[in-house]
Order: sequence, then structure tokens, then C-alpha cells
Amino acid sequence: MPEPGRIPVPLRLCRGCQHFVRIENPACDFCGGDLAALEAAHQLRSAEVQDMIARLRAALTTH
Amino acid sequence: MTALRTSETLPVRYSGLDDIMRRVPVSVVWEITLACDLACQHCGSRAGRRRRDELSTAEALDLVEQIAELGARSVGLIGGEAYLRKDWLQIIAAIRAAGMECDLQTGGRNLSEERVAQAAAAGLNAVGISLDGIGATHDRLRGVIGSFEMALAAMRHVRAHGLEVGVNTQINALTLTQLPELMDIIIDAGCRNWQLAITTAMGNAADHPDMLLQPWQMLEVMPLLADLARKGRERGLFLQPASNIGYFGPHESALRNVMNEEIHFHGCNAGDTVMGIEADGTIKSCPGLPSPYAGGNVRERRLRDIWENAEPMAFNRRRTLDDLWGYCRGCYYAETCMAGCTWTAHALMGRAGNNPMCHHRALDFQSRGLRERLVKVKDAEGRSFDHGEFEIVVEAFAQAPVDA
Repeated sequence: MPEPGRIPVPLRLCRGCQHFVRIENPACDFCGGDLAALEAAHQLRSAEVQDMIARLRAALTTH
Repeated sequence: MTALRTSETLPVRYSGLDDIMRRVPVSVVWEITLACDLACQHCGSRAGRRRRDELSTAEALDLVEQIAELGARSVGLIGGEAYLRKDWLQIIAAIRAAGMECDLQTGGRNLSEERVAQAAAAGLNAVGISLDGIGATHDRLRGVIGSFEMALAAMRHVRAHGLEVGVNTQINALTLTQLPELMDIIIDAGCRNWQLAITTAMGNAADHPDMLLQPWQMLEVMPLLADLARKGRERGLFLQPASNIGYFGPHESALRNVMNEEIHFHGCNAGDTVMGIEADGTIKSCPGLPSPYAGGNVRERRLRDIWENAEPMAFNRRRTLDDLWGYCRGCYYAETCMAGCTWTAHALMGRAGNNPMCHHRALDFQSRGLRERLVKVKDAEGRSFDHGEFEIVVEAFAQAPVDA
């Protein structure tokens, strides 16, 4: 079995300023935003968009 | 590619964590000949005449079997011009018979309809054609008048035979402003994949320093590419930044978004999931790297032995923060990025570990009213995959901040 390659050190995307930041930090090192709160708000917005797309698709199918 | 494989729908040359753990050479890039029908100003291998001691057909077919034994999924044939080798169709057929995908990367000057038909019949999966700027810009960079139109004709031949067609583009001082218009041409030509790389100061490119981008130009490159990536996706074009484009900054996600916004640059993957082969059987961890990175030759050792045991192939997995120097040593992203593309850093600075071609770095300097400028201090010797040497000059940057 060959020696494993270098395992990449992952980063987390700040949904406030779009910089990648170290995963262990609660706040963004670039914009100071609360990473967990920003992620939760992003997920909520994404769910709303997905819901709107689904409703639009359904409306297009029925008409 | 640098993005981690997160979905089975991604191209097979994308690697995943399991590939890194098992150190599978997912993507093998094989220069099957150095013979070439173009005279590119940026050619890192200074292609033109074939190497004196290129592998025989029997040696090449045996090498195909050895590549397959390592679990490679994709073999990209390059040159020179791969189609100038008489047995190129045999090699394609052998790669496909061994269960791997095969693509051809070409300048397309003499990729006739007949050649495309033969390659398709041999099992070729895809063709990547080089378009470096538009019209006369491309012709100048490729050293042959009319080569732009010839490349477009080659794209039409490839499409006519049902093969996937992609485009490769060099980003440099001559092509940068033409990229938006070039994208329109590429989309109109029916292309779905566009790979972009910054011209690296190796081989012929080292002899043309005026062609090379300066580090501060990453402030322009990254927002532009991120914008093109977004617009391209909306029009069915998938933009793939090479490993020497980056790194981080506010456009990283937009640029590398492959069905997942969380994807980011993970550092050089040479020797972990990527392998390069020269036409004489020399094995390297990345096709562009200079000779000190050669792990051995398949005429002397089995490919598996070189891949698994040759120390020059292991530089990437041995690299630690202590190997970084200059700005990269203290960078916020050092642990992940490890100074980005080894090829680019080595070609510019004479050794890996400090890479000035970086967006995050340019933004940091800009925030302090500074910029880095590369000054060539040593010429290349004129050999294949050689390089000169550059010094970094830090100077005041009076230009108003561009869109970060």
C-alpha cells in the first residue's frame, strides 16, 4: 500500500464576505461576521429559493 | 484538478479524498512526442523536434498497462503534438482497452477531419484545443499565421465526430483583455469546457518576460475569471481554473464552484493524484515540472516503483510549513495552500515554497498601498522545461483599488 498523499486542510466559506476561513474560528477573520449565524441565514434563503423554484415548476406543469 | 471529487457526475479526472489516501494517479498527462507543428512563445517544453530517445511502440504500450495497474482513470495525451507520433492511434486504443478515458490536448493545426475520425474510431473520448486569444494574438503566440482559424476548424471536426470538445487558454499580457470575447467564440463553437492557466515562466515563456503577468494583475484576473465562470455556467460552459490560478480572496468560491460553493483550492496535487510522463519515459509528479522533480525512467524501473518509492515524487506529501518562505511562510492560508502551484513558484523563484502569483497576497499588499513586481535576473539556458529566475520588487501601488 503506498504512502497516502497530503490530506488537504479544509476551510469554511464565510457567507458574509465570501472569503474562506479557518474552520475552528467562530467569527470570520476577514469581515468579523458570526459564521454560524451567517450560514443559518444562507440555508434559510436557499430553502426559500428552492421552494419558490418548486412552486414555479409546479405552476408551469399545471398550466 | 484541485477540487475534491464530491459527486460521481464529475469528470473522472477529478480526485477525491479516497484517491489521495490510496494515492491513485487519477490523472496522467503523457507527452508522447516532443515533435510539434507549432512554435509557441510560451511552450514550457520548447517542443519542435522529437526527443532523440522517445519510447518505442512496444515500450509505450507496456507503459499503458503499467498506468492502468496503478488505477489511473484518465490519460491526457500531449506533445509536442501527439498526432505527429505514428502510433498515436495504437496508444489511444490501448488506453481505452485498459479501461481508462483518453483525451488529446492539441494546438489543432493539422488535426484534420481524417485524423479526428481515426482517433474517434480508436476510442478517444475528448479533445482539448488551445485557443490563446483571438485571431492575430493567437497566431502570434502560437508562431504560425492562420493557426487560430485552423484551431477553430479542428474544433468543428471534433464536434462533427461526436467527441467532447474543450478549450485550453493561456492567460498572459496578450490574452487577458480578450478573454470575455473569446468566451463568446468558445460557446458559439459548441464547447462545454474551458480550462484556463496562467502562462508560467518556463521554457520559451521564460524568454518572453513581457508576456508574463505581474503579481498585482491577479487583482484583475480573479474578479474577471469569477465573472466569466458565473456567466459561462448560465450559458452551459464549465470554466476550469488550472492549479496555478488563485488563491482565495473573495472570488475563490465563485471561481471553483463545481456544483458546490464550498470547494476551494487545496494545494498542489502533484505526485498525489497527478502524474506527468515525458516522451522518453521520464516520470514526474506533474507534467510541467523541471528535471529535478523527475522520479526516474520506466526504462530502468517499473512505473509502480517510481510512483510509490522515488523520493522526488514525494515532495508534496513531505512539504510542511517549514518548507515555505517569503510571504507564503506567514500567510493566513499557508496550511491549506502550501504556496500554491509548485511549477509556477519554482519557475519564477528557482525553488518552490513562495508563489507571488496569488490574489490573496496581491490584496494584502494593495491594502498597504504596495504591490509586487517580478524582475528577471537570470535567463533560462534554452533546454526543455528550463527556467530563468526572477526577483520580487515591492513598490508603492498608486493605482486606485479595483473591485476586490
